[in-house]
Amino acid sequence: MVMKIDTMIRHTREAINSLRRNTWMVFAACSAVAVTLLIFGIFLVFAFNINYLASELDKQVAIRASVSVSATDDDIDQLKGQLEKEPEVKKVTFVPKEEGLKQMKAQWGDDAHFLSGLEEDNPLPDTFVIEAKNPQQTERLAKKIDQNYRLIDHTEYGEGVTDKLLGLSSWVRNMVLVFGLGLAALAAFLISNTIKLTIFARRREIEIMRLVGASNWFIRWPFFIEGGVIGILGAIVPVTVVLVGYNAVVNILEANNAYSFFKLMGMWPLSFYVAGLTTLLGVMIGVWGSLISIRRFLRV
Amino acid sequence: MLSFIDFLWKSTLAYEGDIVIEMHDVYKVYKNGVKALNGINVKIDQGEFVYVVGPSGAGKSTFIKLMYREEKPTHGVILINGVNVKRVRDWKIPYLRRNIGVVFQDYKLLPNMTAYENVAFAMEAVEAPKRKIKRRVHEMLELVGLYDRMNAYPSQLSGGEQQRVSIARAMVNNPSFLIADEPTGNLDPENSWDIMYLLEEINSRGTTVVMATHNKEIVNTMRKRVIAVEQGVIVRDEEQGEYGYED
Repeated sequence: MVMKIDTMIRHTREAINSLRRNTWMVFAACSAVAVTLLIFGIFLVFAFNINYLASELDKQVAIRASVSVSATDDDIDQLKGQLEKEPEVKKVTFVPKEEGLKQMKAQWGDDAHFLSGLEEDNPLPDTFVIEAKNPQQTERLAKKIDQNYRLIDHTEYGEGVTDKLLGLSSWVRNMVLVFGLGLAALAAFLISNTIKLTIFARRREIEIMRLVGASNWFIRWPFFIEGGVIGILGAIVPVTVVLVGYNAVVNILEANNAYSFFKLMGMWPLSFYVAGLTTLLGVMIGVWGSLISIRRFLRV
Repeated sequence: MLSFIDFLWKSTLAYEGDIVIEMHDVYKVYKNGVKALNGINVKIDQGEFVYVVGPSGAGKSTFIKLMYREEKPTHGVILINGVNVKRVRDWKIPYLRRNIGVVFQDYKLLPNMTAYENVAFAMEAVEAPKRKIKRRVHEMLELVGLYDRMNAYPSQLSGGEQQRVSIARAMVNNPSFLIADEPTGNLDPENSWDIMYLLEEINSRGTTVVMATHNKEIVNTMRKRVIAVEQGVIVRDEEQGEYGYED
């Protein structure tokens, strides 16, 4: 496997010459890779955003526990200490009723005038905002607090929005896995056919190489490179399409306030991940295709 | 570091330098059921010149293919310098082949390469350093008398010249063992003799030459060891032997 630069250049030259020789087969193989990667790329965009959205929501999915009006300041201090000791709890914040009202006004925005005058006789309870260490424990923790704490009137939390999102994400993932695997296999098959043609075209050279004692890796390398290059070529179009499309969607959403609740992941880290992962998958499909033909036809 | 690894690989093979090939009770049955060899026992020492003769289909080619491990024996043991070839791992076979040159009746030159490139190709394939390739290829083309024709393509060369290019290619990595499978089979007598003088010259420099042939005149004139194969067994093995068949 250790290789000199000269040898590497030679292998790459061989690979590129073969690619030129079989333009149409290469085109077909690249197209198959492109279709596979396009689906994969779109999925990646969804997956990243769903995860992003879920984690954003998780931050908001906190338990709001209303404190009984009969609780004194000492009771509240004590309560806070007890809550913080619960093993599932990550963070406890005390929100006095005045603060609660302010937050509510901010949320209501233009309609906040309905709330004016309530400062005098604030009907809101004091609340604790409790975050669970693991969002999945939120529901259990809320019930536990409800039952075990006499001075807590009731608890509420973000009612499974996150669960639904994560469920959707895993459903999409499974679908893509099945479709994607099928398409990837098809693409690999087309690549292996291209490589087969190259092996056939170079069979005399290969025979001589084997006779004079070229190492097996020396003979295989050009075909791996050829497959890898087809994978990379096949990645160019889908990466471009996905990123340009995503950029357009992000711009539309940002320009239009009606969708402001839809917060998408920014272009920068996402484009990097999507381009990287898509190209990597392309190369893997290419090498997979080469491997099929090398094992069947090269016998080294 | 790289050359050290290279050295380790080669030293585990112990093929550097002299090569002694032994076959003990070797059988070869092909997958289609053809019994090519039925118990071959032979030893070929470094520096010998051996003709392998016998009727068509007697097993000469199989016998020769076993020597450079193109085929594996169905039964029996082939020792190269005392090492059982069967035990040599597949990835090491190329390193074994580097010490065995092979020449064919149909030359097997690459048509889109010049004589020079064909010979150089064998050195490139074993990743020889670039600076050595040019010098060594020139040397070999000089040996076979084609220095002036090095830029000609195979289609521009006569059969005899093509065979000489293929001998240069077989010898360029300096093997100590040269196998020739009917090297004069496609050549007229004059060209055949040129090839024979060349093989004798190579042999005189210490390289073992094993040559399968149907050429009665050559075997009976240039007297060497003769191994006759019939129906997969050695029926005759004589120093300074004769061809012994009428065709």
